[in-house]
Amino acid sequence: MRREPIDPAGIEWTRVSPKYLRVRLVGWAIGSLIFLLIFSVPLVLLLTGVLPRFPFLLAWLLPAVVVIFAGWRGLLLPRQVRAIGYAERNEDLLVRQGIFFQRTMVVPYGRMQYVDVAVGPIERALGLCTLKLHTASPGTNAEIPGLPSSEGARLREQLSARGEAKLAGL
Amino acid sequence: MTGAVPDPAVLSASPEEWKRVHIISPLVRGWIAIAALIFFGGRDWFEGLLTGEPGGFRGEGVGNLPLAIAIVVGVVLLIAAGFFLSWYYTRYQVTEEHVRVNSGVVFRQHRQARLDRVQAIDVVQPFLARLFGLAELKFDVADAGESAVRLSFLKLGEAQKLRATILARAAGVVVDPEHPQDIPEAPEREVLALTPARVLGAAALSGNTVAVVLGLIGVVVFAFALETGALLAAFVPILIGVVSGYWNVLNTGFNFRAAISPDGIRIRYGLLDTRTQTVPPGRVQAVGVVQSPLWRLKGWYKVTVNVAGYGASASGEAQARATLLPVGTLDEVLQVIALVLPDPGTDSPVDVFSAGLSGRDSVAGFITTPRRARLIAPLAWRRNGVAVTDTALLARSGAWWRQVAVVPHERTQSLALHQGPLARRFGVADLILHTTPGPVSPRVRQIPEADAWRLFSEEAGRAADARRRSGPEQWMRPVPAQEQMEETDAAADAPVMPAPPSYLEGPDHERS
Repeated sequence: MRREPIDPAGIEWTRVSPKYLRVRLVGWAIGSLIFLLIFSVPLVLLLTGVLPRFPFLLAWLLPAVVVIFAGWRGLLLPRQVRAIGYAERNEDLLVRQGIFFQRTMVVPYGRMQYVDVAVGPIERALGLCTLKLHTASPGTNAEIPGLPSSEGARLREQLSARGEAKLAGL
Repeated sequence: MTGAVPDPAVLSASPEEWKRVHIISPLVRGWIAIAALIFFGGRDWFEGLLTGEPGGFRGEGVGNLPLAIAIVVGVVLLIAAGFFLSWYYTRYQVTEEHVRVNSGVVFRQHRQARLDRVQAIDVVQPFLARLFGLAELKFDVADAGESAVRLSFLKLGEAQKLRATILARAAGVVVDPEHPQDIPEAPEREVLALTPARVLGAAALSGNTVAVVLGLIGVVVFAFALETGALLAAFVPILIGVVSGYWNVLNTGFNFRAAISPDGIRIRYGLLDTRTQTVPPGRVQAVGVVQSPLWRLKGWYKVTVNVAGYGASASGEAQARATLLPVGTLDEVLQVIALVLPDPGTDSPVDVFSAGLSGRDSVAGFITTPRRARLIAPLAWRRNGVAVTDTALLARSGAWWRQVAVVPHERTQSLALHQGPLARRFGVADLILHTTPGPVSPRVRQIPEADAWRLFSEEAGRAADARRRSGPEQWMRPVPAQEQMEETDAAADAPVMPAPPSYLEGPDHERS
């Protein structure tokens, strides 16, 4: 993958499992469907004759916009998943995400208060998990989604061990 | 301590005795409920007198007067019993390592906090408690902002003594084994005090005033345009809010005094309710200095801090607690920052911090938004900036509401680089420093990509280095590296009063 301008040099990013794309796709499909249903209500009412005065153009425009927007988001998903990466360094963990709004975060091991591993139903079916790091700051929302379960468990143990070794106060 | 089980019977046998708070505490805490009861009960009875009907029992005749009296007496006894029980079941204990509080009658609560985890300790005197000479002791640890331990209420002297004991033990001061109870209160030296005139002036020139003036103009214009006074009535609730806003500023800024002691920074303030806060060394996570537009006329600034125990609540009390200096001149602000950051890590701290407070462009080593990116920050691009000293990072922003955040390197939790599509087009990025919850949220805005990236990687390393060098959690504990033999001697001494650190007495700083 192309190195983005704000990525530190000399970092080998570990990418998350490509299967994570399916998790995102399911979430995307459900979300898009709900939005489509909500924005199709005027059209349905118009066609069934409940609201005959509703502007014809607007009734068709609303669902069309939703479809276009959802399609655009769907097209971005593979790239978004590929943009998620993490790198373990000696002193800290780097996490990056995003293509348009890019974010690179560094969390020192000594600052980690606790590490969460969460598994949702779709993730469980695919053998994935989400790892979340917490420091004393609520601003640290470092999340690594779509890790294979074994890698998640390894990373959790690794982070805890390193956190213990380098533990600092506040 | 052998009693690890939170059982009062076992614990009461321990050498550190369990104590109770002052017996009238529930009364002071519950006075609002009592006042309400008297008000509503009394009003009914009074109205009954006036209309010639027996109070509260309309149509049942005068014969029920004894019953009414019995009910009143019963209610009073019930309240008294409740107060007595709540007092009886609230006990506290301060051991070498912990402070414990047991409370609750039906739902018992046993709470224990480690002394060396103290982030801040307050002695608070609400108005009524002040009349009785009582005070509340609050002990904060690093959680989401709820005080870990509240002892309400103790006699003021007792609360101060307890604070000294807790701080001494948290600091690791070794007490004289012959007289373990003799813990001297750490001496303190006053650094600055605010005059009432300054506090009044600050309130008058605050953002509140701008809102009031604009609101008044709007209402008057509408009233004339519509030829109706109805809108004036709508202004009343707003007025109440504004008045309470002013009151808050006055009540928390009045009598403000800051002092330095070996136990850390100590600030006192309050008009009716008074509060003394102590923040031990190394507990301040970030410092923010802001200046609202009207304050620029007088050159005033406000200093706020993030302390792990204070939390991020938006209530007036929480904001007052996180305020290190409600209103101060440049010199006073520098003095206060010097208390928090005794080693500025630069040869010309006055220049650097002045540039941070009111400067523009790349004076004193600031990196600012490049000219090419001025379109995405049309007003603030000359003001946005960052400077790094050996011990701290300064993030400056805001053209109208000037602000600067100072974060000591060893207090940085984590860092993030953000870049949106527009910022990428102009080759700039934001650097965000994560700190504990509080009013200061340091963000370096729109600096050149390359600089942001360099800062990002360097800052992570610098923070790690600074953490390795930073002092012990127990700030008075003798450093074991040298003088192992004489440790006991040195430790027995009372804490020595340090001179308040200042940036103004540097080798080559002649301020005009």
